[in-house]
Amino acid sequence: MGASIHSVHRKIWQTLGAIKTGVILLILVVILSAAGTVILQRPATDVDEMQRAYSPQVLRLLDGLSLTDVFHAWWFILLLSLVSLSIISASIQRFPNAWRFFSRPYKSPDESFRKALPHHKLIPIQDEEAALSVTDRVLQKAGFRPERIVRENSFSLFGERNRISELAVYIVHASLLLIFLGGIADALFGWRGFVTLTRGQQTSQVDPQKGSRRTLPFAVRCDGAGQENYADGSPKRWWSDLAVLKDGQVIQRKQIVVNDPLVYNGIRFYQASYGRTGKIDRLILNATQRYGQGSKEIAIGLGETLPLDADTTVRLAEFIPDYVVGDGQVYARSNDLENPAAHLVVESKKSGQPLNVWLPPIPGLEQNASSPYSFEGKDIQMAYFTGLEVSHEPGQWAVWAGVVVMGLGLALVFYFVHVRVWAVPVRDARGQLKLWIGGTANKNKDVFEHRFRELVEQVESELKISVQADAEAPVSALAGR
Amino acid sequence: MAQVARVEQQPAATGSTLVVMVGLGVAFLLFMAFLNVVKSGNLLNDSNLLYAALIFYVGAGTLYLAFGITGTPSYIRFASLSTWVGLLATTGAVARRWYEAGHPPFASIYEMLLMFVWTLAVLTLVAEKKYGVKVIGTVTMPVAIVGVVLMQLLRTEVHPLVPALQSTWLHVHVTLAMLAYAACALSFALAMMFLIQDKMKTETFLAATSLFTVATYVGVLTRFEKWGGLSVVAWNPEEKSEVFLSKGVRLFVVIPDLGWMLLLVLAAVAAPSVLYLIWRKTHDVRLLDTANKAVFLSILLQVMALLFFVLRARDGRYTSLDADGLFQTSLAASPFILSGIVGGIFVSLLYLLLLWRRDDLQRMLPSADELDRITYKTIAIAFPLLTLMIAAGAYWANRTWGSYWSWDPKETWAAITWLVYAGYLHMRITRGWRGRLAAYFAILGFAVVMFTFFGVTYLLPGLHAYA
Repeated sequence: MGASIHSVHRKIWQTLGAIKTGVILLILVVILSAAGTVILQRPATDVDEMQRAYSPQVLRLLDGLSLTDVFHAWWFILLLSLVSLSIISASIQRFPNAWRFFSRPYKSPDESFRKALPHHKLIPIQDEEAALSVTDRVLQKAGFRPERIVRENSFSLFGERNRISELAVYIVHASLLLIFLGGIADALFGWRGFVTLTRGQQTSQVDPQKGSRRTLPFAVRCDGAGQENYADGSPKRWWSDLAVLKDGQVIQRKQIVVNDPLVYNGIRFYQASYGRTGKIDRLILNATQRYGQGSKEIAIGLGETLPLDADTTVRLAEFIPDYVVGDGQVYARSNDLENPAAHLVVESKKSGQPLNVWLPPIPGLEQNASSPYSFEGKDIQMAYFTGLEVSHEPGQWAVWAGVVVMGLGLALVFYFVHVRVWAVPVRDARGQLKLWIGGTANKNKDVFEHRFRELVEQVESELKISVQADAEAPVSALAGR
Repeated sequence: MAQVARVEQQPAATGSTLVVMVGLGVAFLLFMAFLNVVKSGNLLNDSNLLYAALIFYVGAGTLYLAFGITGTPSYIRFASLSTWVGLLATTGAVARRWYEAGHPPFASIYEMLLMFVWTLAVLTLVAEKKYGVKVIGTVTMPVAIVGVVLMQLLRTEVHPLVPALQSTWLHVHVTLAMLAYAACALSFALAMMFLIQDKMKTETFLAATSLFTVATYVGVLTRFEKWGGLSVVAWNPEEKSEVFLSKGVRLFVVIPDLGWMLLLVLAAVAAPSVLYLIWRKTHDVRLLDTANKAVFLSILLQVMALLFFVLRARDGRYTSLDADGLFQTSLAASPFILSGIVGGIFVSLLYLLLLWRRDDLQRMLPSADELDRITYKTIAIAFPLLTLMIAAGAYWANRTWGSYWSWDPKETWAAITWLVYAGYLHMRITRGWRGRLAAYFAILGFAVVMFTFFGVTYLLPGLHAYA
């Protein structure tokens, strides 16, 4: 019983690792993710548009199958997990073999190997030692770093390059797993949210896209935000000056712009939007004394009280950016600075009576004439908010590491060829001494074929030179080699 | 042997006649353009440079095609000379635009097209000089011509970069994308050549050509309207942009009679595949002859449809089903229809080239084994580039939107492209797929690339609105 369960496990494990399974899984991923780009997806598309695009029955069906949110559906995640498992299984099943190949290179080829190798050549030689040292030199020059292999009854030469290329595929697969791991970590522990701040405001509350409000262990404060435009009026740059506060202390400051976030404690703040709040930041006024010559400029914020002279104060009670009057009341029509009205309250110790001053004067509400000061609006500085995208992606470092490793792995897979060359002195059937040279490459075999031929030619010509040098040393100068 | 003899017997005179004619045509067009330029007094702006490039690409395309048909070696010399000059003009346009904008020209679809045409011209020359694939200009030049024509219609002013695009990573991302896609295009062309060298039957190419064109025209005719018109996106000539009814909803105008015309073309391009199917049953060789004649006829009809479409789309105002009043349209509003028709003509022409000059082609191209290997090698270049392109895009998105992967359609399709090529590599390396199967896979891969590049931009919504 136990054995059969064991064999079932084994079977599943082997099936997972089979190339066929891998390809089928990949095809499924392709089909389903293609479906996810054709069918409108839920959080990105608003509800109205979904209802316009699909009939209620179809929509219900799509929703039921999670086809309106393919990339977060349980079956899609299951599929990606299966892909990961398949990669793991395939790697574990094949890796030991590759590792053996890598860690224990085959250095002295036996006779059957020598016969079966496609690229080999036999060169007649006089002396084993001389031939091997010539070959050694040629291989050295070609960058192989050859080594002498000495066995009980034979000695030979072995040279190779880029042995690491044998493991490249595993490096690529491992990097893919690393990327997946990062993605999973982010799916489980990461979050995204949004924060809106005006100048001077601070918060540690973030409204995430999903789930309940999150409180950060620190606060962010906006010390200023703005927009710069091109000459044609289109936006060039948005910026916000942010400060990170912990226990009331500023720990970090940074001006963020689009493409350059503030990072603190693994939480990143991105410049996402910028706009008017519809609230006033500062109202610049000219206050002129009604019965005197005194005139001065004041800048007043909402709810702020400023002294005009020793006896008189003014307070900005209300500011309406776009006002309408109805039934003796003032209403705001919009948040745009279209038709502004300001409500000032002037208080004087002499009269002891607060007076309502409206700019512009609104009949029925204003007591402008009784005020000891007359006011003239000079400038309106509106408050702007800066919208910050907040994200926490603890897994992203695994992703970037995976990307780098994958780049290296792919370079090894495609551009580094494991080339091996052997040279063995042998005796042929007639007892003649020959040098057997053989070589193999794990890819780019056509290029290798060419290169191998060159190597052999070089060895041959060098051998001839050395043979001639030995035999005809005295006359070589006359013969002109 | 007879083929070789025939090519060699071609009198030198006929060879030079065409060269002289093309040369005179180019000179005449340049002269006319020069007169206009002198009047406006602005010699080296990018529209003039592009016009010059267009003239030379047309000259080169004609000569490449003539070379494909006659095999006269002198054509190829002048064709590559013409390509060189065209490339020089395009380079000037790129440099000028870069200088004017102060950033590399990757920001709008206009600039992307400019870079695409540039890369294409460079690749043509590289493939010709380095790999000896001489006929490749027959394929690439017409594509370059369509690119330049489309550029004439698109908004050309230098746009200031919106904040999200002000990033070095964007340039890295786009450069890698262009390189990767160009490598994919090359692998596709090589795979097609492999199929020619691999003794794939000419009839099979006939069926494939016919199927491709049928699919293209069925796609175009999805906009067929009741009274024989064809819906085309409306175009605002002042703004040089499409007209939108509301966010993401385009306004369509109906060009009368164009629908009938294209329906006729569809019938003509469908005829060869019907005849092919009957031939499969009856093995009557005359059917194939008729089918080949039908291809020839379909080319004439397609050219007529193209002219009709070009003339109607340029001039006049049309009614719309969605709004009152008359609206204009333009070729730039409907790159799909334009490239569909041009693609159809072009594939049919290539088929005829194959039908008539197969032996010459086979002689000129490298051997099947060699092509198979080069195809694999180009994919071995394309795949790491694709990987890095996706990675650079993810890194940029992370810096800009705070998320490295958001499954938007362009991202998803880039991943699908990557998976398709990953599949190719696995099958080749572990299963030893060679030859036909590998070539089909390379063709499929390029189809996915094209969809990612064009299809996603025009058909599916997403973040990649800039390109």
